[in-house]
Amino acid sequence: MMDIFDIYLLEAIVNGILLGGLLALLALGLNLIFGVIDVTWICYAELVMIGMYGMYYMVQYFGLSYFIAAPLTILLVAALGALLHLLVIAPLLSAPPINQLLATGGVLFVLQSFATVAFGIDFRNLGIRLPVLQFADMHFSYARLLAFAAALIGMVLVYLFMKRTYVGTAIRAIAQDRQIMALMGVDTRRIYIITSALGGALAGLASCLLVLQYDIHPFVGLSFGPITFLVCVLGGLGNFVGGFVAAFVFAEIISVGGLFSDLEWGYVLAFAFFIVMMFIRPAGLLARRS
Amino acid sequence: MPVRKAARLFGGLMVAGAMLGIAVSAQAQDKKIKIGVIFDLTGPLAGGGSELEYIGAKIMLDQYVKTGVEGYKVEAVYADAQSKPDVAINESVRLLEQEKVDMLLGFFSSAQCVPVAARVEQLKKFMWMTTCISSGVFENKNYKYVFRPQASGDQFGLMTMDFIAQNSLSKFGKEPKDLRVAIIHEDGAYGVDVAKGNEAGAKKAGFNVVLKEGYSATAPDLSALVTKLKRAQPDVIFHTGYNPDITLLFRQAREQGLKFGAIVGHGAGYGVYEKLKEGLGPDANYIFDTDPISIWLANPKGLDPKLLPVIKMVGDEFDKIKPGVAIRSAHVGIAASNSYVFLNDVLPRAIKKYGGVDPDALRKAAMDTDIPEGGTMLGFGVKFYAEGTVMAGQNERSFPVVIQYIDDKSYVVWPKGQAAREPVLPLPAGTTYSYK
Repeated sequence: MMDIFDIYLLEAIVNGILLGGLLALLALGLNLIFGVIDVTWICYAELVMIGMYGMYYMVQYFGLSYFIAAPLTILLVAALGALLHLLVIAPLLSAPPINQLLATGGVLFVLQSFATVAFGIDFRNLGIRLPVLQFADMHFSYARLLAFAAALIGMVLVYLFMKRTYVGTAIRAIAQDRQIMALMGVDTRRIYIITSALGGALAGLASCLLVLQYDIHPFVGLSFGPITFLVCVLGGLGNFVGGFVAAFVFAEIISVGGLFSDLEWGYVLAFAFFIVMMFIRPAGLLARRS
Repeated sequence: MPVRKAARLFGGLMVAGAMLGIAVSAQAQDKKIKIGVIFDLTGPLAGGGSELEYIGAKIMLDQYVKTGVEGYKVEAVYADAQSKPDVAINESVRLLEQEKVDMLLGFFSSAQCVPVAARVEQLKKFMWMTTCISSGVFENKNYKYVFRPQASGDQFGLMTMDFIAQNSLSKFGKEPKDLRVAIIHEDGAYGVDVAKGNEAGAKKAGFNVVLKEGYSATAPDLSALVTKLKRAQPDVIFHTGYNPDITLLFRQAREQGLKFGAIVGHGAGYGVYEKLKEGLGPDANYIFDTDPISIWLANPKGLDPKLLPVIKMVGDEFDKIKPGVAIRSAHVGIAASNSYVFLNDVLPRAIKKYGGVDPDALRKAAMDTDIPEGGTMLGFGVKFYAEGTVMAGQNERSFPVVIQYIDDKSYVVWPKGQAAREPVLPLPAGTTYSYK
């Protein structure tokens, strides 16, 4: 029985935490958009994919250093987020939620097809090999550690922005009551664009870190999109802290479950946990009971 | 007057002759075989090798579109399966029922082959698979209209196990029973089938199988699998995967400090060296892959001499489409060779001996196929298991080979008869994954 409590279990737990950081980073932007604008960007992972291509071309074709390309990519995806709002979301703000969902679902296919036509179907790679962190007999990925740190910092920065700035306060106020804030003189259109750009910027940040770990291809979003959405729902759509916690819970079930059983069972357990929680806490892990 | 009459008669005959000629020509023009070709041109499988297979098949089809076969025009209608089995089925039915193609050719993914073959057989149409390898397509199905010259998945798995078994003592200094092996695979029809062959081969060789596990090719994280591999400490890892998951596995293996003696791949993503190199850099060195032999690596002395200019033509055409590729992928040659067998051997026989290109004529012609070893660009011969047998429709003479990528070149290392050099086994000390 004690055999299972070995160094490999510890490594699996730490790897689960690092995977959780990655999922938390992805969930952050999606939660922000939903929390404020009340729209789910089904195409969120495809924005990340476009950002990954941005990084690839800036580094590989234009010879920019990673550290110059990263802020440019964040700005690029932020602009895409704002554009997505102006062209697709804004005209549908008062439409039924299903229409908004279908519209962003349509954007998902548009972006995948655009990437296929524009960049081809080849797998691309940035070719950056980060060193490996060794501790005792355990080894950890620097790229994952970076993503974990970025998720933490991103979370804190978004929290401070929302709590300490005028725009952040306006965003929170709009999230509480969209109609009333317009009557009180808040420019809701401007706040929506800022929020969308911020959500895009967080997708851009995620793409800067994902290129260190994954190949880039038009369908890379399929690996992350569904799981990010599940994490957001598990944490409670629009709930940052809930999303953050849910990411780690989900990742630990995958990682530790995958260690003691087949890897596939890790995912099965995670999805089963999700379904059970939807019955027990349909509003999310950290939602207050009404 | 008789002269005028004779002239009129002559003129009339000329016109009639000309009309007859036009009619015959028109009839010849009407004789056509319309071939529906399905590969994945978008989606993850496209970059994993399917697009290269499409290029290989198209190069060959383009040649026959120019010349025709036995008075029949050849027309190819291409469709994109989008890396999705449901799309592959829908496109197959669309091509057969709306485009009215006479037959289907191609198919990269075993996950597509299995359901499409069942549907095509149900429709009593002819299907020629160039690429997918799952044994499940044929096993105990007794299909009449589905044929595959390509080697089957269990052959891939058995071949690599035999390769390591024969080198166990000399290269690893261990009896097979002491050699620790891990079998990991994507969990689709392709990976499961190859792993089945691996398992049978391991049992036959007496290996100590320390881990056998499947995973989803789209999984965003394989760290738990890598941790298990670290715990199992295999000498050799037998891996079946597509491209994004192969590079993810290697990257996470490096980051988590996994060490082993060798890793042996089984086609698909392992057959595209350019992508392995781009994703893994120097770590792509010394990787093994199992596939039908690359047509450019086959020993020309062992091949039918009339194939040599065809091989050159395929290479020249491929270089025009994708210039500057370091190692031409085996994928291109697989589709080109298997399409060539149909266009050059089966189709002429169907027309001449069985009177046309309907499914029954094509089926009978396929069943008559009897190409000896060395008669195809892939080195193997072609003869299909007869109806009523377990693997009816599968080529009984096909076999894959094991190649190794060494310093940006690929070498056949197994079987001995085809080998161009000794394998580098185990991984040399100082390389990223070496356990030395």
